Amino acid sequence: MNNIIRAQGVVKAYGKKKVLNGVNLDIGPGSVIGLLGRNGAGKTTLLKSVLGLLQIDGGSLVTLGENAWQLSAGAKARIGYVPQGYRPYPWLLAGQLIEHTASFYPRWNSALVARLCTEWELDLAARVGTLSEGEAQKLAIVLALGHEPDLMVFDEPVASLDPASRRDFLKTILAIVAERTCTVFFSTHITSDLERVADTVAVLKAGVIDFCGGLDDLKDMVKRLRVRSRGALPQDMGGASILSRHIQGNEGVFTVRGFSPSLQPLLEKAVGGTVEVEDLNLEEIFLEMTR
Amino acid sequence: MAENETNSAKDAEIWFRVAPGSGVPIYRQIFDQVKLGLATDRWQVGDFMPSVREVSAALEINPMTVSKAYSLLEKSGYVEFVRGLGMRIPVAPRVEPGHASPEDAVAPLLREVVNQAQQMSLERERVIDRFNEIWKGYSHE
Repeated sequence: MNNIIRAQGVVKAYGKKKVLNGVNLDIGPGSVIGLLGRNGAGKTTLLKSVLGLLQIDGGSLVTLGENAWQLSAGAKARIGYVPQGYRPYPWLLAGQLIEHTASFYPRWNSALVARLCTEWELDLAARVGTLSEGEAQKLAIVLALGHEPDLMVFDEPVASLDPASRRDFLKTILAIVAERTCTVFFSTHITSDLERVADTVAVLKAGVIDFCGGLDDLKDMVKRLRVRSRGALPQDMGGASILSRHIQGNEGVFTVRGFSPSLQPLLEKAVGGTVEVEDLNLEEIFLEMTR
Repeated sequence: MAENETNSAKDAEIWFRVAPGSGVPIYRQIFDQVKLGLATDRWQVGDFMPSVREVSAALEINPMTVSKAYSLLEKSGYVEFVRGLGMRIPVAPRVEPGHASPEDAVAPLLREVVNQAQQMSLERERVIDRFNEIWKGYSHE
């Protein structure tokens, strides 16, 4: 009931290709979720399905308590969405597009919009069609935040922003989530941004959610072990699964998933040598998990 | 302003430094810094921690991450929650002897050095000599 998004066995195919093949996802209110996946993994498809912009072929998908494909106007008014490459009405002035968008919503925070436009140095007198990629993206973000949505869905929100604008965007998102309970669901390739703002990470791989949980839990769970053994190197890692291994002589580097602190002394005993545990950052974890 | 500032809240940007791209979870970085700050007297009895919102805004990190660090610190007895005022370093903070020594902070770096040196089969004595040389270079005498 309380879930903002609930996906159960979601399937979406384009022709014969099943892009989503049994996606399960539970997202509660108040979280900031980063969706990771390689190119073509189906991130945009999943986001669009959640918004009811694509009809799924199987399973069930509930957004804000309603069937995602048949969202009511009331539910849609609680959603803010920034797609990739959004640039409607190129003939309008940026300011006119903001007014036009505001007219659809009974609740519109003009003060917030005005503040963001100033902070992000948006030229309201410029034609939408003449804006640079980055400026158009900023405008799209402002448009998606004006009605103070409960659920914000961003598809690669920072892709064409310069580092300073990216920081501004992150700051804005953090200020919003610090102020009120809302949910942010975004896809990104920039893992360092995700590490700052997200509390939850979902990894989309081979049509399913390969991991969904706390960013900290993920970091605690995936580790690189440097094993120096007197004799043979271990074949398995107790309860942990091996994502990759590099072996040279009696030294081995294993990246494992499902690490627990008890594994280290256990392994040291087993190999009669030393085991060093290295922390990995999100980018390294992502590369290991999706190789 | 100058007189009565001993027990005012610490400025988040000055008192915390996080590296989101390091493998260590951000909440643990904050936790460790307070722990270490207590051991080195950087944090003192009666000091107030900056609020969750301040830290989140200053360091540009998720407020839930900050809350997590704070509640862990409170649970471990390093800070206490004072109603209406925030988190404070209590009169008798629980600092485990032997655990959080200031040198702990550089242990990971030293481990890296040792690891590298061993891989290159360097002699221990030569490395220590080099260390002392560099140390002297940084001293103010």
